Amino acid sequence: MDNWEDMKIVAEQWSKQGIEFVQQIPSPQLYAAIALLLLATIWLFSIRLFRRTKSNTVLLSGLSGSGKTMLFYRLRDGSSHQGAVTSMEPNEGTFVLHYENIKKGKVKPVHLVDVPGHSRLRSKLEEYLPRAAAIVFVVDALEFLPNIRAVSEYLYDILTNASVVKNKTPVLLCCNKTDKITAHTKEFIRKQMEKEIEKLRCSRSAVSTADITNDFTLGIEGEVFNFSHCHNKVTVAEASGLTGEIDQVQDFIREHVKP
Amino acid sequence: MLEQLLIFTRGGLILWTCKEIGNALKGSPIDTLIRSCLLEERSGAVSFNYDAPGAAYTLKWTFHNDLGLVFVAVYQRILHLLYVDDLLSMVKQSFSEVYDPKRMAYDDFDETFRQLRMEAEARAEELRKIKQLGKPVTGSVKKQGQVLKAGLEGGNKRVGEGGSKKDDGDGIKGKVSNLTNGHHSNENHKLGDDSQEGDLANGKENTSSNVAVDLSKLQKLRSKGVRGRGGVRKADSIGNKSSKVAAAEPAKKATKKNRVWDDAAPKQSKLDFTDSVDENGNNDHVEVVAADQGESMMDKEEVFSSDSESDDDDDDEPGSDEKPAEAKKKGWFSSVFQSITGKANLEKTDLGPALKALKERLMTKNVAEEIAEKLCESVEASLEGKKLSSFTRISSTVQAAMEDALVRILTPRRSIDILRDVHASKEQRKPYVVVFVGVNGVGKSTNLAKVAYWLQQHKVSVMMAACDTFRSGAVEQLRTHARRLQIPIFEKGYEKDPAVVAKEAIQEATRNGSDVVLVDTAGRMQDNEPLMRALSKLINLNQPDLVLFVGEALVGNDAVDQLSKFNQKLSDLSTSGNPRLIDGILLTKFDTIDDKVGAALSMVYISGSPVMFVGCGQSYTDLKKLNVKAIVKTLLK
Repeated sequence: MDNWEDMKIVAEQWSKQGIEFVQQIPSPQLYAAIALLLLATIWLFSIRLFRRTKSNTVLLSGLSGSGKTMLFYRLRDGSSHQGAVTSMEPNEGTFVLHYENIKKGKVKPVHLVDVPGHSRLRSKLEEYLPRAAAIVFVVDALEFLPNIRAVSEYLYDILTNASVVKNKTPVLLCCNKTDKITAHTKEFIRKQMEKEIEKLRCSRSAVSTADITNDFTLGIEGEVFNFSHCHNKVTVAEASGLTGEIDQVQDFIREHVKP
Repeated sequence: MLEQLLIFTRGGLILWTCKEIGNALKGSPIDTLIRSCLLEERSGAVSFNYDAPGAAYTLKWTFHNDLGLVFVAVYQRILHLLYVDDLLSMVKQSFSEVYDPKRMAYDDFDETFRQLRMEAEARAEELRKIKQLGKPVTGSVKKQGQVLKAGLEGGNKRVGEGGSKKDDGDGIKGKVSNLTNGHHSNENHKLGDDSQEGDLANGKENTSSNVAVDLSKLQKLRSKGVRGRGGVRKADSIGNKSSKVAAAEPAKKATKKNRVWDDAAPKQSKLDFTDSVDENGNNDHVEVVAADQGESMMDKEEVFSSDSESDDDDDDEPGSDEKPAEAKKKGWFSSVFQSITGKANLEKTDLGPALKALKERLMTKNVAEEIAEKLCESVEASLEGKKLSSFTRISSTVQAAMEDALVRILTPRRSIDILRDVHASKEQRKPYVVVFVGVNGVGKSTNLAKVAYWLQQHKVSVMMAACDTFRSGAVEQLRTHARRLQIPIFEKGYEKDPAVVAKEAIQEATRNGSDVVLVDTAGRMQDNEPLMRALSKLINLNQPDLVLFVGEALVGNDAVDQLSKFNQKLSDLSTSGNPRLIDGILLTKFDTIDDKVGAALSMVYISGSPVMFVGCGQSYTDLKKLNVKAIVKTLLK
């Protein structure tokens, strides 16, 4: 108790001294100092706010085996090296796209993230979604029909994710492996996806009171689902990771990550 | 021969494959390995078997956790290659020196790999040869040492170790007998020379007296061939008045190690080895002797070959006790230090205590012991060699890794959206059939009613099938539920064949347009062969869309047994090529366990199928989905 008393007295003395000191400073200087401090904090906050809207992260997502890792390395190095196996961890990199290496001038590097598509690693996607400026959803055009349910569920989960809806993240439906003869066309894939998502809409919206799996629902009530109903822009493109025809993907990325 | 050796990053890019062995692998073993083993937290296992049409491979792997690399070797299962583990670790070492995150092509590694492979193969060859020759050689050598030692200690019961080894050895009797002859002669030489040479370690000099006594016996029992060793031992034991002991220990197994009485290194046999090798030239004149005396000693061999090696375990234990203690002391301080600097590479010894504590914690939460063990091994495999980031303790790294692993296991591998499946079936105009299986008393009928209620709420027309024709009151129970829920029930009373009842129920459902048929079966123990056969018949005959295993959350270690046996029986007794296994789990009585939620983890891990529903009460509304994050949090609390 004595200690407390002593300490209190000492503290009071110090505070008195401090106040005297402050009062000694001529008032204009004091006000100027405070104003400067306030300005500085406001400036820092605004920078942070502005920076958030200009993220340069592009996500590569899609089912396991659709060719995301190959696409990632193609975009980065121009070649897919010796092939890829099922990814166990995300591949991340901040770089200038390979084809732009030859361009002169200031090009802003892109932060590309390849998220594993295996269902066990689905939670990794949620870490990256809030920061994404654009999403490339890779679909295997060769093995499309056998996996259509899983693909459409994945896409549905992405499109109804809270951050995606809020930020209106544009999505590119990239049909990969189009160099093979039996690959489906992008129109076919788009139509099938719309049909499947329509079915999903009906079953998912009938949600039990115990939990809500999806944050939002898609589309307009009463109308058959169409990609134009989404608030965020959804476009379709074709690509081939193996042969290197990835122009449409590159354009998309460049479009949404302004240099 | 090795089929293929791959090096790839955890992110999936292949860095290097062996181009010499140009065989293309049939099927996709690597992808299957990653999907069904490494991502399923079974990376602690030793190897993985992969079957594809036309090939049966075994895969072995190792990680370099610091650099994030995986090394996988594939070879044919019928060849039991011994050098694979060795080769993998050597490759890991040399590749990590060459590795550069910027580089994508490592063609110069081909040369290094070829050398390493030749080295490993050569070493394996040597080892194999040594094993074949080594047993007789070391055996006789030990015998020599033993004889002498016996003299030293007096009363040494270390008998017949070499002899017993001979017993289990490969029957290369001819070669062996040669060597033994050599040894015997060697022995005689040594002993005859009055132990003045003293080459053999451990004071041969002292044993001159005993040796003299034994020598006569030795002459008689010399070089038996395979069984020969025993003879000397016998002489030894007689000499040492340990005949009683010898007789008294007939039943001991022959694979024990040498007992070491004094502080002499147990390497004495190693030293003896060189001597016997020298004397191989003296085979000639003793061979004749060896031949005829081989058989008679055979039975005697039995008597005391047992003996031996009581042990050396004594020696091991005091040694091992000290190590953990001092490791602990070093542990606390260095862990504090390392947590600040964060530079240490995680070793098995560092991870050991943290993992052990985690395993204990999991087991207090009712996770089966075997599962907890496997999980810890898998986490250990994924953390070993990794660098600690700064300001993190080892225990927090381990905890984070374990949490990650648990989330990964509990996240379903496929979609568990039943409504979607029901709609898909509806389009094809056939009913969606769900069969509830499980052991006795877990709550199948109750939860069947809950599922029916839930489906009804989603505008799906349900029909129940009472295929529990064994338990009294089962049909009435279902009838009551059906009446309350106002849904049709198909029943045929008791003492009927459940498979046939189910079949007819499905036909009835197709006829009156029900969307879902819920089939209730009788509870059965996983060991009960006839009942499991009946269940398998029901499933084969009706080919349901979903086989739901109902398990209670109160079960402990038995969960592992139940699920694995159910799956095994279903796959064994299945008639078609594609056996139907358990597709999903329904966890019941979840409200009775407070936070001991481990049963969910055990069941999911052992069967690989997701938990589709959780029953948490006795009324119709008490059915919910599994909340993965909540369970993981509770498990690690």
